[in-house]
Amino acid sequence: MRNDTSGHPPPISSHAIALVACGLAVAVCLPLRDVLDLTNIAMLLLLTVVFIAARLGRSEAVLASFVSVALFDFFFVPPHLSFLVSDVQYLVTFAVMLAVSLFISHLTTSLQASAREASAREAHSLALYALARNLAGAISPEQAVQRVTTFVREQADGEPAFFLPDADGQLHEFPAGTATLGLDESLVLDAVYRSQASDPSCSTSGPSGLTLLFPLDGATRRHGVLLVRDCSRDGLDPLRPMFEAVASVTAIALERLRLVEQAQASRMETEAERLRSSILSSISHDIRTPLTVLFGLADTLALADARLSGEQRDTARAIRDQAGRLHEMVEKLLDMARLQAGQVRLRKEWQAIDEVIGASIQLLGEALREHPVKVSLQPDLPLIAMDAVLMERVFCNLLENAAKYSPAGSPVTIDVKTDDEGGFAIEVCDRGEGFAAGSLARIFELFERGAPQLPSPGVGLGLAICRAVIDAHGGQINASNRADGGACVRIALPCGGEPPGIDPEPADPTEGGS
Amino acid sequence: MNAHPVRILVVEDELQIRHFIRQTLERAEYQVIEAATVQQALDDAVSGKPDLVILDLGLPDGDGVDFVRAVRDWSRMPVLILSARSDENEKVNALDAGADDYLTKPFSVGELLARVRALLRRAEGGDAGAAVVRFGDVEVDLARRTVLRAGAPVHLTAREYRLLVVLLGNAGKVMTHRQLLREVWGPAYVDSTHYLRIYVGHLRQKLEADPTQPMHLRTEIGVGYRFQA
Repeated sequence: MRNDTSGHPPPISSHAIALVACGLAVAVCLPLRDVLDLTNIAMLLLLTVVFIAARLGRSEAVLASFVSVALFDFFFVPPHLSFLVSDVQYLVTFAVMLAVSLFISHLTTSLQASAREASAREAHSLALYALARNLAGAISPEQAVQRVTTFVREQADGEPAFFLPDADGQLHEFPAGTATLGLDESLVLDAVYRSQASDPSCSTSGPSGLTLLFPLDGATRRHGVLLVRDCSRDGLDPLRPMFEAVASVTAIALERLRLVEQAQASRMETEAERLRSSILSSISHDIRTPLTVLFGLADTLALADARLSGEQRDTARAIRDQAGRLHEMVEKLLDMARLQAGQVRLRKEWQAIDEVIGASIQLLGEALREHPVKVSLQPDLPLIAMDAVLMERVFCNLLENAAKYSPAGSPVTIDVKTDDEGGFAIEVCDRGEGFAAGSLARIFELFERGAPQLPSPGVGLGLAICRAVIDAHGGQINASNRADGGACVRIALPCGGEPPGIDPEPADPTEGGS
Repeated sequence: MNAHPVRILVVEDELQIRHFIRQTLERAEYQVIEAATVQQALDDAVSGKPDLVILDLGLPDGDGVDFVRAVRDWSRMPVLILSARSDENEKVNALDAGADDYLTKPFSVGELLARVRALLRRAEGGDAGAAVVRFGDVEVDLARRTVLRAGAPVHLTAREYRLLVVLLGNAGKVMTHRQLLREVWGPAYVDSTHYLRIYVGHLRQKLEADPTQPMHLRTEIGVGYRFQA
């Protein structure tokens, strides 16, 4: 049959067309009955079956197979116009003809089916590719999800919903909305999200039909779950691979958007950090300038000429000392502000701890005049990775406190040992009154003072700074009172890895010394 | 005193601080030139022929470090930096660029004058040429390369001796970690500060009365070391 009918005609009419085609074939062959061999007529009828299989489908071809064999018998095998067969060997012809035409119909139709499937798959791939390209241009998760939703509706007749985790790892529909989940659905949803299996996608069937769930796995983590409700006639299960691909491109898009967001946040953070530090340094500059002048002028007066009386000179000295103290306090406040403003940036280097302790003692100078500092170090202490400038502040604050809160002449001791983990255990102790009872738990808080009853000046910043610095180093600091009197502050400082080695010295014949 | 008065260029953008420094210096009979910007300072450094520069690092039209670099292209005149305590980085940069010493604000008049005098003395070569340097109970004979402590010979390795000589040669001056590492170990080692910690530790063990509270081989935390006779 040559005249093509379009698409997939309804089964009834296509069967009729198959019958008509067989009839036409017979009508064409009938005048030729005396010219052509019976074999060739059988061939023509077979050809008709092939066409029917190719054009109309399997059941039409099977029908045509039987009909054409019957028509062949009726019209062409003698005796004509009768189903009787004169020669028994024609039964073999019928059997072979039927078998061949059934086989051909089968081959032809399955070939057609796989061709159709291939082209459908190609269409899906093209659509997926278009989706991926589309997603690459999405500028927000909402937009990305919207594009995927459109795709799924168009391509698969399914109703997708996206569930993304919040900060606590709880899944919520995204964008917040409309999908109502059955109990089993929400259980499965959670299970899919939390599953550690390599392919946790799964399906569940509820009252509204089949639901497919796919994890949105990005390169770094799982970004949520894609849920697709089946609305189509043929079922979505065959489309599983396509949905897996959709889930994958969605995850990649969400991940990209998240990274962009993170980059932006970190740029904002850096910006804010920069602003904060520039505000801090301009404040510290503005405060330091008048203090420097005040300190310097008072100092000039105190040192200078004999024109001043002893009393006036003392006043000048007092102004200078108070300006110095005020400056110390301002520095501490600024230190604390810096330490609290965002993350502390440590400039870690391999340091000898005795050097930092020595420099702190040297820096305090006058303040320690009445307190001998005894430093005992375990022999052969290794280098330790720390920020020497900040650690110097820690030791200065601790020594200053020790000197401030213990009677003149009493010693301050610093002990340094390695602890079991290779870090350092540092102890700074004095022989004073110790911390006030009950205050031990709070003294590292900002503006807490360990000995509030004492008239010594201070605002309770020193120990808070110590804790901030030690925390930044990943260490621990705590305070206690010694049984025999005096306050102790203990610091545990992690070693921060293996200290680097040094090259051995080349043998040098002209070495110094003798 | 010298035949001509010693001239000092004070570069500081804060008028009050500049005045107070001028007052102090003039009282000590130094001549003072004032500049408030890097550009003005550079002009004055050429035309005023100062013997020493006192330089604030935070200037309105540029970094004090740029000034130090520019001056070091043509002059060895001593440069004393004024800085805030929390600006270790800036200090180190200025010192690496060739500044000689620094003073942390606020500073006392006595400290300022002591630093100025020390720098001027060094610049005149007052300390140079001595073949024997003594500090504490230690005696270093640079010509014969021997080190005695309380009269007894002290054994130093080649590097320890070299480090000591570099520090002695820059007595009173802060040497940054980079400068010391470059001079003693070579340019490839400028970031290997742990060498310094270990070797300075050795020197202190051998030469200081109390190695944990050194009197002569001083630590400038975050900056470098200074030898103090």
